[in-house]
Amino acid sequence: MSYKNKFTAHTQLKMSPFFERTSKLNESQEWRRWAGYLAATSYELTHENEYFAIRTKAGLLDITPLKKYIVKGPESQRLLDQLVTRNIAICKVGQVMYTPWCDEHGKVIDDGTVQRLSENKFRITSAEPNLEWIQSNAVGMDVIVKDDSFTTAALALQGPNSRAILNSISSKTLDSLKFFWMMETTFDNIPVSISRTGYTGDLGYEIWMNPNDALTVWDLLIDKGKPFGITPTGLHALDVARIEAGLILLDVDYISSRHAIIESRKSSPYELGLGWTVKMKKANFIGKSSLLKELDRGSRWSYVGVEIEWTEFEKHYRDVGLAPGLPHTAWRTSTPLYFQNEQVGYATSGTWSPLLKRYIALAHLKSKYAKEGSELMFELKVEHFRKLTKATVVKTPFFDPERKRSCPK
Amino acid sequence: MNNYDIIIIGAGINGLTTASILGKKGKRVLVLESREKVGGMASSMEFAPGFKCNVINDTIKWIDPRLIKLLDLNAKGLELVQPEILRIILGENSEHIAFHKDVAKTIDSIAKYSIIDSERWKDFISYIEKLSQFLEKIYELTPPILPKIGIKEILGMRSMLSPIRKHGTRGIVDLLRVAPMMMPELVDEWFENELLRSSISTAGIHHLSFGPYAAGTGYNLLHQHVHGNGLFHNIQFAKGGTERFAIVLKDYAESFNVEIQTSTKVISINTDQNVCNGISLENGEQIMAKQIVSSLDPNNTFLNLVGPSNLTPNFRKQINNIRYRGSTARIHFALSSLPEVKGVTKEQMKTIFSISPSVEYLERASDAVKYGKLSDKPYVEFVIPSVLDSNFAPEGEHVLSATIQYAPYHLRNTEWSDSVKDQLKNNVVDTLQKVIPNIRSIIKHTSIISPLDLENEFGLTEGNLNHGEMTLDQFMFMRPTISSSQYRAPINNLYLCGSGTHPGGGLHGTNGYNAAMEVLKD
Amino acid sequence: MSKIKKYDAIVIGGGHNGLTAAAYLGRAGKKVLVLERRHVLGGAAVTEEIFPGFKFSVCSYVVSLMKSNVMRELMLPKFGLEILPLESTMTPLENDYLIRTADSDQTYREIARHSKKDAENYMRFGPAMGQIGMAVRPILETIAPNPIRPSFSDLSATKRLFDHVKSLSSKQFEYLTKLMTMSSADFLDEWFDYEPLKATLSASGIIGTFMGPYSPGSAYVMLHHYMGDIDGAFRAWGFQRGGTGGVSMAIARSAEYFGVEIMTETSVQNVIVKNGRATGVSLDNGDEYNSNIVISGLDPKLTFLKMIDKSDLPSDFVSAIKNFRIRGSSGKVNLALDALPNFTCMSGDGHHLRGAISISPSYDHLEKAYDDAKYGNFSEAPFMDIILPSVLDPDMAPPGKHVMSCFVQYAPYDINEGWNDQKREAFGDAVINTISRYAPNIKDIILHRQVLTPADLESTFGLTEGNIFHGELTLQQLFSLRPAVKWADYTTPIKNYFQCGSGTHPGGGITGSPGEMAAKKILGAW
Ligand SMILES: Cc1cc2nc3c(=O)[nH]c(=O)nc-3n(C[C@H](O)[C@H](O)[C@H](O)COP(=O)(O)OP(=O)(O)OC[C@H]3O[C@@H](n4cnc5c(N)ncnc54)[C@H](O)[C@@H]3O)c2cc1C
Repeated sequence: MSYKNKFTAHTQLKMSPFFERTSKLNESQEWRRWAGYLAATSYELTHENEYFAIRTKAGLLDITPLKKYIVKGPESQRLLDQLVTRNIAICKVGQVMYTPWCDEHGKVIDDGTVQRLSENKFRITSAEPNLEWIQSNAVGMDVIVKDDSFTTAALALQGPNSRAILNSISSKTLDSLKFFWMMETTFDNIPVSISRTGYTGDLGYEIWMNPNDALTVWDLLIDKGKPFGITPTGLHALDVARIEAGLILLDVDYISSRHAIIESRKSSPYELGLGWTVKMKKANFIGKSSLLKELDRGSRWSYVGVEIEWTEFEKHYRDVGLAPGLPHTAWRTSTPLYFQNEQVGYATSGTWSPLLKRYIALAHLKSKYAKEGSELMFELKVEHFRKLTKATVVKTPFFDPERKRSCPK
Repeated sequence: MNNYDIIIIGAGINGLTTASILGKKGKRVLVLESREKVGGMASSMEFAPGFKCNVINDTIKWIDPRLIKLLDLNAKGLELVQPEILRIILGENSEHIAFHKDVAKTIDSIAKYSIIDSERWKDFISYIEKLSQFLEKIYELTPPILPKIGIKEILGMRSMLSPIRKHGTRGIVDLLRVAPMMMPELVDEWFENELLRSSISTAGIHHLSFGPYAAGTGYNLLHQHVHGNGLFHNIQFAKGGTERFAIVLKDYAESFNVEIQTSTKVISINTDQNVCNGISLENGEQIMAKQIVSSLDPNNTFLNLVGPSNLTPNFRKQINNIRYRGSTARIHFALSSLPEVKGVTKEQMKTIFSISPSVEYLERASDAVKYGKLSDKPYVEFVIPSVLDSNFAPEGEHVLSATIQYAPYHLRNTEWSDSVKDQLKNNVVDTLQKVIPNIRSIIKHTSIISPLDLENEFGLTEGNLNHGEMTLDQFMFMRPTISSSQYRAPINNLYLCGSGTHPGGGLHGTNGYNAAMEVLKD
Repeated sequence: MSKIKKYDAIVIGGGHNGLTAAAYLGRAGKKVLVLERRHVLGGAAVTEEIFPGFKFSVCSYVVSLMKSNVMRELMLPKFGLEILPLESTMTPLENDYLIRTADSDQTYREIARHSKKDAENYMRFGPAMGQIGMAVRPILETIAPNPIRPSFSDLSATKRLFDHVKSLSSKQFEYLTKLMTMSSADFLDEWFDYEPLKATLSASGIIGTFMGPYSPGSAYVMLHHYMGDIDGAFRAWGFQRGGTGGVSMAIARSAEYFGVEIMTETSVQNVIVKNGRATGVSLDNGDEYNSNIVISGLDPKLTFLKMIDKSDLPSDFVSAIKNFRIRGSSGKVNLALDALPNFTCMSGDGHHLRGAISISPSYDHLEKAYDDAKYGNFSEAPFMDIILPSVLDPDMAPPGKHVMSCFVQYAPYDINEGWNDQKREAFGDAVINTISRYAPNIKDIILHRQVLTPADLESTFGLTEGNIFHGELTLQQLFSLRPAVKWADYTTPIKNYFQCGSGTHPGGGITGSPGEMAAKKILGAW
């Protein structure tokens, strides 16, 4: 099933149609597995430049490993409304919705976007394979569910200059394309669809295309993007950006309820800070009755942003004669959070925000301790010894620029 | 008019049982039946001019004694006759063993072939009776919700104490040992004569898609012998045909103002937010009720009537995983004269016959199911109802109703068609010919009912006569699924009372009885 | 001639369970003697150099079920236990193949090539089975209580198990019930569509049993094969360096380290019983050895019907043991090869040869093989589980040469007309012909072949009817019913006579479990 790359690395992993370019650009030759694909961790020897490209210029990411499914047919909207927590009935053609989907106990299976391609055709993107789940719920409905993962290649172009770059290539202007909407256009006669979505919390777009056009589109973007500072960007930089944007990551921040093995590993949308996506007015959807009950009795857990307070943090290091030891990249090791002497939660992702100059993390907390402003203790290892240092619950997104949603006047 | 307390879907024995009990308790009950007659699997038909047959079941093995008592069935006109000879097992030549109501005679019959076996017979039947007594008690229970059982559930099972007191924990151990057995294991422990061994094995494979070498046939054998009163192969005939049972129940229910509408097909069970509130009919009419009880099998109830999108994914999966695999067919022959069964007199014909020369014969017949074929040499059971009741055939003429295993619903590389049915008939006639040499020359008409016909005519998914196979993984708290074995669907106000629930198939009414008790609890 | 020396315990049979029991008793300071009939130790877990330079795990060939606490407590790694991982399972097909490896991405992708739905479900299947395996573990590790006249400890064990079962989730309980009762085919049909995948998974449900994939009860056998773990990873199979006999030898050395005496080529004739009490054993050559207790590591038929005079046993017990089902259904073909087999579907050397190769293209293939056996013939086209030990451990064969181990089903013990040399060779030919459908060069590279029928397993290894598990793993022969009710806790109706072979709870395979639990039971009452 692999694309016919000229690159002949001896690997059993999948290579995306962009691999022929990305493999040569990858100066660090650092790769990570993403859904069975080889995906660049960072192209340069450190990821800083790529991170700043996202925030100040434009980062170009190969997001082909995302799972993509097409649902079409007269009952496709009904199926999706059954499946996901958001109200797909009000999703207009050309609109995109971010949504989680749950099992019948209201525990999240995965999260992703639903794009309404036409009245009766949708594309779903997700982190993990979901075909079996979607298909099994489509039984008896007049729909066709198709795995589009290998038939659609995708790039993300994220950052303040992304619109300008696309405008310089696209046959149609993107000026009026609103946040979480999409459009069809062409690049040099190559049809592509562009959605104003992304995983960075910045102005940004995702470009969906036929894999056969992948290299041409890549070359066009790199070429036309040069004056705007387009930068191939790897997953390290993306991780920092998505934490700043307060966006969760499957298998890092939560575990799919289909793979969780034990109950305590599962989370409801409320427990992941996704309560806003649960539309209780909708007739029925998988997990609704359990979620109604949860709403009624309150969720045990909450998902929040945490900021590790600088002064005390710095002091711990100063005490042993060191400069503050900031994490070099975003981390993903579960880290305990305490209230007084009791562990009341754990952070699942964290990073130093180079832009905000704050040490931030995303954390599961028992709801009682999750109020904004709650003061907690964050576990820290300083020179091999565990310390507790002050941390505060803060609002997410940590970083939320105006440009993310605005359109040029 | 839409002010029923309860709607019951399906007027088979279980639907009518539930209706009768609830009607008697003063509920306003409506029963809806798609066929033009009540009875379901307890129906008769005229399959050729002047020739009548019991469409599916010729005999009644046992009726729930609680039902007999509660409804006083005997007084209401249900006359059950236990024949002198309960069954005759025919070998390939004219050898046969007759199982009599009188055990001493059975022993004589066995002794013709094996003295040792005849000496063990009494021990064997009391062993089976002992085990069946445990099952009898289990059958009267609503299965507990497992594995989370508490004191309440344990107390609920205290009726199990009486057989334990009688037989000790050894009885339970024996039950646990025999239920998972395959037939050769059981018979190896007891008997040497092949005809006897195979005759016992036939009880293990009754209406199953498996052969005697399948583990768990021990359980099916015991199921056939619940309330067997210590008789092996115990049967009863209902005077006037099996459908009398249904008619008596119908009359009874109607005497309590239960409304029974036939030729009325329910096309959906309506739910809203997981609450069941009524049903819709084919003609578009909707009828509301507080409680809905379905006697259809789980597939029909949930996938066809409730609809897959109204089920939770896990439950839907469980329902999809229920195994039906009907592999029993029926053939009714109109005969111009009395068939001559080798070595059997006319007087002895008021019984049920089975042709099973050896356990291996049965097993070979069952192999066909695995490969989606008809058995070349099927296992055939037959009854001549016209010797029991002269109304079944014109004067001097007769009816032979055969039950055939194995004729699988799922055929490979072909589908049920007239030519497949013809082939089935030929295989059956060939088999019958060995014991009724003149059979070919006396056949006037034939009516072949394939598993597909059973599905189409009686709404039996895949033609399974038990609404789901009688295997250990679909037993008790697993029947129909672990989440719905208390006669309650996981949808509020929807109940189940058909053979797809505990304790499974047969014309005994236990499912309907237990379900009625649960409906009344809420 | 009778010897004066008296032992605390004599173990009959130097199979791995007998050795395990001996080692535990030695470790507790008892004076123990092990008597083995053959010239080598290990019983069905044995390595022998059958042809010069070619070493074979003659019977059992892969290890997974061995209990990790036994490995630690008997310090087996110190005495030579070295288990190498088997990396993959390949199912060759006529024009294609299915391969599953330790890497989940690769396995996902490979299965998705055939069915995406199956690939997704497969990712959930392993953990689900692991969960069930975990749920069953405490049951396997409990000495089976006596339900007939329960003692206090039987009751408390029952209560503990009851509480354990109550703690399972509804889903676990549902799967458990299904696994205990269903056919492996029906169970797998609930998960998967792709026939070669289902057939290969179902094959664990038929190994060592006289059942086909469509036979109810086979799902339990499948579960039995899922209960092993290596380093905490469920369902991982490994290969003992130097062959399976290395496991037995490690246990034997451990036993010796704990002071156990071991004698080979010493066949026990019977157990000496005086006043309902075992006092020693007498050998085929007439020698007698005395001891306080005697432990049999043989199967239940030999343990009771051969070792003990019938008149010393209660008659209902004798009939229970007679009724104990022990039909053999497996054979083994060991090949010495000049080169590696070349599989048409995946030619040349590669990862696939470092794992198991399963001849299980479809349910039909397996079921037809079973049908043959059911009616008294060996399978014309058998199921096989093949490994190439020399690829994992070059010491198994001379440089450049190879050994191939083929576990074969079905070969019924009760074959029509009985087993003879001609039948054995015909069976061997059926095996080679079947392999050659997938690896055509096989016939050209065979230097030597050893064919073992169930009759050979019986005569050489003392496995009654050639049953590899000392008794079938059917529901009614498990736990408190293995080998017979009341006597499932390693005791026997004879005082001071105990049993510790695979015919006791929790059953067969290289587990060390019956040996360990028997020793613990014995020591508990000492
Ligand atoms: C062909 C085959 C393949 C197998 N494959 C596997 C596998 O891959 N993985 C796995 O885990 N399991 C496998 N098994 C099963 C496993 O090998 C056995 O279940 C296990 O080895 C049995 O061990 P045991 O100690 O209980 O009995 P045994 O190994 O049978 O030990 C009994 C011992 O007693 C000795 N003995 C017999 N009679 C006398 C006497 N009168 N006096 C003295 N000694 C006597 C025998 O020689 C033998 O050494 C296989 C078995 C076979 C036969």
